[in-house]
Amino acid sequence: MDALLRIDGVGKRFGGLMALSDVSFDVVRGKILGLIGPNGAGKTTMFNCVAGIYKPTEGEILFSGQGAPRRVNGLKPEKMTALGVARTFQNIRLFSSLTVLDNVRIGRHCRTKANFFGAVLRTKAQKSEERRIIDESMEFLDFVGLGEKALQPANSLAYGAQRRLEIARAMATEPRLLLLDEPAAGMNPRETEDLVNLIHAIIERDVTVVLIEHDMKLVMRICENLVVLDHGVKIAEGAPEEIKTNPLVIEAYLGKGAANA
Amino acid sequence: MRGVSSLKYILAALVLLYPISGFGDVYVLHVAVLVMVYTVLAMGLNIVPGFCGLLDLGYVGFYGIGAYTAGLLTMHYDMSFWLIVPLAAANGALWGVLLGAPTLRLTGDYFAIVTFGFSELVVLVLTNEIWLTRGPLGLPGIAPISLDASWLSHLINPGWNWKYTFGGETPYYYLGLIMVLFIYLLMRRMEDSRLGRAWLAIREDPLAASSTGVNLLTYKVIAFAISAGIGALAGAFYARWSLFLSPDMFKFWESFLVLCMVVLGGLGNINGALLGAVILISLGEVLRVILPKLGLPAETRFLAYGLIMVLIMRYKPSGFFTQVSESTMKNKMIIELREKLAARRAG
Repeated sequence: MDALLRIDGVGKRFGGLMALSDVSFDVVRGKILGLIGPNGAGKTTMFNCVAGIYKPTEGEILFSGQGAPRRVNGLKPEKMTALGVARTFQNIRLFSSLTVLDNVRIGRHCRTKANFFGAVLRTKAQKSEERRIIDESMEFLDFVGLGEKALQPANSLAYGAQRRLEIARAMATEPRLLLLDEPAAGMNPRETEDLVNLIHAIIERDVTVVLIEHDMKLVMRICENLVVLDHGVKIAEGAPEEIKTNPLVIEAYLGKGAANA
Repeated sequence: MRGVSSLKYILAALVLLYPISGFGDVYVLHVAVLVMVYTVLAMGLNIVPGFCGLLDLGYVGFYGIGAYTAGLLTMHYDMSFWLIVPLAAANGALWGVLLGAPTLRLTGDYFAIVTFGFSELVVLVLTNEIWLTRGPLGLPGIAPISLDASWLSHLINPGWNWKYTFGGETPYYYLGLIMVLFIYLLMRRMEDSRLGRAWLAIREDPLAASSTGVNLLTYKVIAFAISAGIGALAGAFYARWSLFLSPDMFKFWESFLVLCMVVLGGLGNINGALLGAVILISLGEVLRVILPKLGLPAETRFLAYGLIMVLIMRYKPSGFFTQVSESTMKNKMIIELREKLAARRAG
């Protein structure tokens, strides 16, 4: 098993609240992992720990995006992005008064390097880098199907399109691991269908996907592995078929006694 | 569109020709130069609250540092203005980094309070470090700017002396115009670049910006340093123009005035900063004349600024120009892209 990301005994405490405690699982390269659980189970906290927004109180996070596994606990978000972890947010966080193209161009930030002097002097290197940034950004926009809308303001996009733009921005950082936080929330069936195709296309680009999702039909359909969290503790892990019948999972979602009903 | 651009040329010609047209009035020219100084200040300040979304209440501190750097270097070392400008700007930027690096981790109101404290500190130092700044007596008799090419003329003919010392308002008017144009170009180029996009990302959503790979602290410190450098540059020009400096020229309310200009014009819009400076300075001068005629002290004009801010907040909370990142849309590559997209849609 080739683990791209290894979560080893991770815990996160906020004051007296254990948001996560002793959670361990592996994210296997090229396999879609679903992180599920009831509201408040600690799924987004787990994402925040991996993406560098929170520093885990205990445990190890090992990421092998660039060959050998590397301990990445407590690295800053921009460092994690540079290492190859990109994410989207549960409540969409776009740069909303900028254009669609600029949102993706900012995604290219960590893979480019022009500085103040390049900007002011408009050196040859800066100009060719800017041209490359535009071309690459357009490629990522076309990848999610928003190429035509490149020069519109990001906040003029429809809801589903905003979600796809967030994915394009994340993809523009050239990640090895993409964390999607409820990508299908609020989408209609048609948009969800497009999303499924998009996720498969992302996998084909050799980017591993982890997603948090409440739409169980979607989860069962596309995830190859599932990890179930409840009250910050991992209660089950395995293939979707096993999870579906796991009494602990059913209890977490439906309450005690539901598994026998 | 055609009408607008020809109007622009006419305006530019008027601005260029005014001092030598024969109608040039010394008072009007003086106000025009003052407008230019504040235009540069407003554009410089715009970087921090406009591009990065951080409230900076201490901008005048850097203006004061630049002005005193220029004044003292002139008085003690008789240094040329052209050498002083980069030194003053660098000194401003240095203080920007010194203040910004430890404090830019703060957000919102906390940061605003720190910057406010900094500008008060600058005034206190200028007032009390008498050995350096002469304190409340100020620095009188700073030499005006001069263009000195005597070394060149002596080489050609020992009898010649190519040296021109600025007198009156006209040369300052033209130098001020060059300064404004230079900073304007600088701002536009920064805005439409990887640097400017990183700033705007921080303004729009810091969390998303850092998750997209922007190092928040680094880019905030860069913004603060550049902004401080521009403020100090305006200060250097001011010192060599007014020929007198005193600590009360750099009191807090100056910061507030510049901030008003930026907010009035539209946070994050470069043209907005220009417009805000022109409106508030000209208005201040008009009121200075009108108010005493109404039997009110001239200081009441500050009330008018307050009133304007209240009205702006009520009716146009995002200022006159709300568009951010305008220059990007005028970039050749983006215009090409727009055409390509139009062709794609048609085809």
